[in-house]
Amino acid sequence: MFRQAAIIATKQSYPANVRQFATLREIEMRLKSIKNIKKITKTMMIVASTRLSKAQRNKVTTAEFAKPEKNFYQITEAETSPLTKEGKSLVIAITSDKGLCGSIHSSMAKKIRSLLKEDSSAEIITIGDKIKQQILRTNGDNVKLAFNGVGKVDPNFLESSLISSEILKYINESPETYNKISVFFNDPITSISFEATNDPVYNEATVNEAPGLCKYEITQDLNIPKDLFEYALNTKILSAMGKGYAAEISARRNAMDNASKNAGDMINRYSILYNRTRQAVITNELVDIITGASSLD
Amino acid sequence: MFALRRTGLQTLKRTYANEAAASDVLKLQFALPYNVLYQNQAVKQVNLPLQSGRAGILPNHVPIVEQLSAGIVEVFEKDATAAGKKYFVSSGFASVQPDSTLNITCAEAFELSEFDLSKVQSLKNEAEKNLTSSDEVVATDAKIQFDLLTTLENELK
Repeated sequence: MFRQAAIIATKQSYPANVRQFATLREIEMRLKSIKNIKKITKTMMIVASTRLSKAQRNKVTTAEFAKPEKNFYQITEAETSPLTKEGKSLVIAITSDKGLCGSIHSSMAKKIRSLLKEDSSAEIITIGDKIKQQILRTNGDNVKLAFNGVGKVDPNFLESSLISSEILKYINESPETYNKISVFFNDPITSISFEATNDPVYNEATVNEAPGLCKYEITQDLNIPKDLFEYALNTKILSAMGKGYAAEISARRNAMDNASKNAGDMINRYSILYNRTRQAVITNELVDIITGASSLD
Repeated sequence: MFALRRTGLQTLKRTYANEAAASDVLKLQFALPYNVLYQNQAVKQVNLPLQSGRAGILPNHVPIVEQLSAGIVEVFEKDATAAGKKYFVSSGFASVQPDSTLNITCAEAFELSEFDLSKVQSLKNEAEKNLTSSDEVVATDAKIQFDLLTTLENELK
């Protein structure tokens, strides 16, 4: 259908009765603009490539930073805590504000939507405008809190602390209890593939009921599970943002690489068309001159 | 017997860790948000400023999870008798896992030698001025800052 539209568009832009000069001019202009597009996509690709190595380093360090909490949940078997089934589910979906990076944001939106189909009462907190726009379109009522202005540079501790403190404020003010918070992010599996995955953060009540908590010696009066929950939420968001950022940069690099290649193909095709048309114009003029000259004889 | 403990002695379940560590080296994992200082490195001993008091962690320590208060994390890499590497941390979390791994995560950590005493003192004086501010937020900020800098100053002296 798209191809049909393209054919109609070409027909409209090059009507048969227009003189060939105009067509040649048009092809030339088109060619120039495609060359400009290629320059832009190529630059974006180079920018993404230079950012990629830093983003990947950031991904590794933030993952190390969040590891202790992950280990803690694993060892205490918080997943099997009876409270995880109760309460409302809270979902934090992390993308960024900028597009032009392939299907990375829409695959996240797809994942969230499929989750909402199963659990229509789940509350969504969005980080990044892209995911917010997509979820608002279909499930506007579920979006409770939205953050933007993230994902321009490598995520840092301050940024994630500000976000998590706002989220904690929301959780404390909300009448609902959220025993399990899922943080959704794009996990860069290889340099060319990514997957929208999620990691859980459990609140203090859930951790208190975790079957494996007895493996740790915990000072009672300090209220460690609560502090740990607040801290874990922050580290989890930071590491998820680190991973999401690396995935996004890598996806942008690939998308822009493909776009540059496509633009290159179009430039080739258009230069051939341009040369042919130019040749045809010259031949036509020659024919005109020769016929004119021969008619004078 | 296990079942009895679980049902009958709920408090006991929380008080004593029943998981014994298996190895005799302490593996230290010390991570900052932007850097990893130690990655699973075998060390002799680590002293921590826990909220319940200062604690020295040796291999086979019982698994714990606790918040750090501002103070010195001292790492003895090879020898527990020689002076260890001292890092000043503002806050954070420390946890000993059942496999004798010590995880420390904090927002910032710097070696003690990197601090300048005169700068610390001047910052402390500045914070002291704001302690009596009428704005509650400013006063609380100043209080935290003042306490932290006092600890740091004492350590530097």
